[in-house]
Amino acid sequence: MRTDRVRENITGYLFILPQLLLFLIFIVYPVFEGIRLSLFKISYTGETFVGFTNYMTLIKDPVFVKSTMNTVIFVIFIVALTVFFALFVASAIFDKNAKYVSLIRGSYYIPVMVSMVVMTMVWSFLLNPSNGLIPHLAREMDMSSINLLGNKNTVLPVIIFITFAINVGQAIILYIASMIGVPKDLFEAAEMDGASRTTVIFKILVPLVKPTTTYIIIMNIIAVLKIFVVIQLLTGGGPNNSSSTMMYYLYNNAFKYNQLGIASAVGVIMFLITIILSIPQLRAMFKN
Amino acid sequence: MKNKNKKKLELSDILSNVIVIFFALLSLFPIYWLFTSSLKNSSDVVKMPPDWFPASINFSNYVDVFSNQPAFKWTLNSLIVATVSTVGLVIVSSLAAYAFSKLNFKFKNIIFVIFISSLMVPKEVLIVPLFRLIQDLGMVNTLSGMIYPNVATAFGVFMLKGFFDTIPDTLREAAKMDGATEWTVFYKVMLPLVKPGIGALFILNFVQVWNDYLWQLVVGQEVNSKTLMVGIATLMQDLNPNFAYKMAGATIAAVPMILMFIFFQRYFTRGISIGGVKE
Repeated sequence: MRTDRVRENITGYLFILPQLLLFLIFIVYPVFEGIRLSLFKISYTGETFVGFTNYMTLIKDPVFVKSTMNTVIFVIFIVALTVFFALFVASAIFDKNAKYVSLIRGSYYIPVMVSMVVMTMVWSFLLNPSNGLIPHLAREMDMSSINLLGNKNTVLPVIIFITFAINVGQAIILYIASMIGVPKDLFEAAEMDGASRTTVIFKILVPLVKPTTTYIIIMNIIAVLKIFVVIQLLTGGGPNNSSSTMMYYLYNNAFKYNQLGIASAVGVIMFLITIILSIPQLRAMFKN
Repeated sequence: MKNKNKKKLELSDILSNVIVIFFALLSLFPIYWLFTSSLKNSSDVVKMPPDWFPASINFSNYVDVFSNQPAFKWTLNSLIVATVSTVGLVIVSSLAAYAFSKLNFKFKNIIFVIFISSLMVPKEVLIVPLFRLIQDLGMVNTLSGMIYPNVATAFGVFMLKGFFDTIPDTLREAAKMDGATEWTVFYKVMLPLVKPGIGALFILNFVQVWNDYLWQLVVGQEVNSKTLMVGIATLMQDLNPNFAYKMAGATIAAVPMILMFIFFQRYFTRGISIGGVKE
């Protein structure tokens, strides 16, 4: 009996061993190493312990403050747009014929499939001030500002819109799957009572898909928090750092300015934010 | 009264669907522009007003991308990184998921909780320590350096455990009664039953790694160790002002994923929904 239990323990550990090892080396170790590095000044010659100096430097750096503010702005607007638009699309089509649903779903999901890099390249061409389609159309319609990415006032809204447009398909797929799972008799009962479609959507459908909404919000906050590709390929953080983000700031410090301690401190801050944000989602997962 | 109500209800429905279709077309337009631009010649592509349909189809931009850049090598690198990462992930996570679902061992629950807690942490925030680790392991500019962190993610464990959980324990007990070893139970009995889960995990992860950028950018610094995503992104910064050429590069990276979506749409909708939504 005892040896049986020992045996089962050993078998269990053998099965999880490969995953556990990789996990310890490539996830757990970097987390602790990142925290350690954030307390050091790192140069080619060696490492010196500096306590919280890196964090203090960050707080005093206007570019970091700007990058953080931009990240927060991106998170708020992109997530809000995504949730509202995805809810709107999904609730309009979920009960239609299956072919139509998969066609619409596909149209919105193709940009997600095609990746941020490719989509950003297309948008960069579309927005190019000298030979892009959008500035051309803007000129046709007699609008003055054509360099949307070179203007401090338009660069953030443009990035918000592009990121939203590329990624909203993910949320739409999730909402449709969740809405199709809602039992039909709930709607039928409401319709019998003479409720309009709008009422059914707002009073029955939206509350019922709330777990999906929570999931979408958290996943999107975390995805936007690490927003990088659009910034690097579209604006390079410009004009004059006005579109820099935390991840872009981290990347530049680590791989351009060789400020590994500073970059690690940004990483630790972002790590803590993701952990705190994911608590509600983790709770929901463990309930199951 | 009832009739009137029904009519009103349909009007709002039709209106919403018109808007939905309009934006769906708008969302496809950049893809259309990408394809058609890549087929134009260098002067047509910047012509204003534009040719909404390419006047003539020419593939010279594609030829240029493949002859001016090691684009074959990049494609091969992407294929290797995505395939090996995914096969590796499927192997290690199906083993672990089976253990978490069906076996009993000490600290099982604690370890699982730690695994799951890591799900939300993007590897990008760990990029500095992770890069130094890869450096210490001598894996900068290697495909292995890009692959390992992808295999370490706990996402597969979480996803496949859900599939193993739906298989009744009695199946395992019956096989054990017949004298089967744990490995036989896993490999011969359980694994075939979770095939749909493995399929969904495979496709989702393949696409994710194929489209990944930052980590591959950091690890593959030499031109020949770049992946396709990183390679075509460098075309953006290329001095060549020919946008048709840049769009051809972008198309090369996009087409495999579009084909995958068309062929495996079913898996995406299923896989993504399993990803986290449990009502």
